[in-house]
Amino acid sequence: MPGVAPRARGFVPLTGADGFLRAFDHEIRRTAGASHVSQLVLRLGPGFDPGILVKLVEELASAQPIVRAPIGRRFGLGRPVYRTRAAARRPTPRVEVVDLPGEESPPLPERFAQRLNEPISLRRGELLRFDVVRYAGGAAGTDLAVSWAHLLFDGAGSERFVRWLDECYRGVQRPSVLPDPDELSPRDEARPGMRERGERALAWQRWMDGFGTRPLRSLAGPLRRTRQALRYDVLTLSRGETQRVVEAASRRAGFLTPMLFYMAATIRAHHAVFRDRGVDPGSFVLPLPVNLRPKGREGAIFRTHTSLLWFQALPEQLDDFDALLAALKRQRVEAIRADHVENCVHAMDFALLAPRRLYTRMARAAQRGELCSCFFAYTGEFLGGLDRFLGAEIDNGFHVAPVPPSPGSCVAMSLFEGRLNVTHVFQEDAISDRERDIFREQLRRDLAG
Amino acid sequence: MSQPTREELTQRVFEVLRDEILDPPDSFSPRSNLVEAGLDSLAVTQLLLSIEESTGIWVDEGLLTPENLESAETLAALVHSQLPGS
Repeated sequence: MPGVAPRARGFVPLTGADGFLRAFDHEIRRTAGASHVSQLVLRLGPGFDPGILVKLVEELASAQPIVRAPIGRRFGLGRPVYRTRAAARRPTPRVEVVDLPGEESPPLPERFAQRLNEPISLRRGELLRFDVVRYAGGAAGTDLAVSWAHLLFDGAGSERFVRWLDECYRGVQRPSVLPDPDELSPRDEARPGMRERGERALAWQRWMDGFGTRPLRSLAGPLRRTRQALRYDVLTLSRGETQRVVEAASRRAGFLTPMLFYMAATIRAHHAVFRDRGVDPGSFVLPLPVNLRPKGREGAIFRTHTSLLWFQALPEQLDDFDALLAALKRQRVEAIRADHVENCVHAMDFALLAPRRLYTRMARAAQRGELCSCFFAYTGEFLGGLDRFLGAEIDNGFHVAPVPPSPGSCVAMSLFEGRLNVTHVFQEDAISDRERDIFREQLRRDLAG
Repeated sequence: MSQPTREELTQRVFEVLRDEILDPPDSFSPRSNLVEAGLDSLAVTQLLLSIEESTGIWVDEGLLTPENLESAETLAALVHSQLPGS
């Protein structure tokens, strides 16, 4: 229905990547009693007024029903959608404010990690919430966590969302006007025919199956019924350290492709734990999200606009950092040459039609119940150019990317005002405190080059 | 395959970026900054693969610096310097 506004149609279709995340949300709820929740954290200076945020969120929920839209298949059939017409009957996203005494450099509030482990219902439109923790009534600063069902925004979208909220606060934007007016419309670009899309989806599936020749192991082990209990550590490097790391990443992996340097360090940090356990990891298989927004304009805020590139590292490649990096570089170029970025999109589009349980079972089948060795993301500059949020200075900010209890380990990296933040999200029983020290030590050593 | 001149490479890089990879404004020119125009990690690899297809030369991403991503002209100069006999 080209040209029909989403609100008039009453629904917004999920992207293929949304469907992928919806399936994993379902798996986590079924096996681990939680949800697939992502988070963005801002550590703010004095002067933050939660009342302004509450008012903005009310305006937003009224103007953009997608933020509280129940998700499901229309009439129980076909592709799942955000049911935006039904959203008006759903509650406004919650803003919870807690006051704590003022203290020097407070640790991150426990409740932020707890949010990752609480079940939410996509069917009821529980997609977004805010947690505000004020110290000394805000005089000593505020921590803010934006938590959302992982399919509502991807990493780039979540940063655009925060920036857009601030623009609405400053009067540069209005909540009723999305910066990209086409973002909720169906994609109308020329797509290949059904046969070609099917062939490309199969090509992607064959590529994925090939990784099964060297089975992998994750820190948590294969899928099991266990309660999700995610926690996270944030390692923030100094500006001096970060400068050296960024220069090394650019020099060794490329100015526009530094993520491979960070990925190599992440793989070796996991390997250090396996080596300490004295177990053979088999191989390390992990995905790298790829942003699909048009290059040269900002693109969409809502829904997930990503594909995945997959990598496999063998234990014998891990002793030499440069050899590992060279292998990752080679694999990335070959995967892009083989069109696997696009092939993955077609595979995820087809999977939208499949039952969620079948989808996740297929994803884990090739690896004997494992999904991957770990999750990894590098998102570059975090909120580049934005130094205040709703009037309060941003002292630091980072992503907390979620991970299912299996593989149970996820590393997300980004830069904020010249400091590298490394967020390690982990399932509590997947890695001990001593192993986390080993993990951090190896990671830090490799990042330092 | 005869070796392209630097000017021909500039035109090739510019056209691939404008028509196939980026979604740039009308003001985009061979002297526009590529990163500001939206060149990212995926786009640059797609560009390098396209250059490889037309010249047979693979330019390692590790050679890319902010300086040679200043424009289609500077990137073409890097590619040209990698051609045999340059």
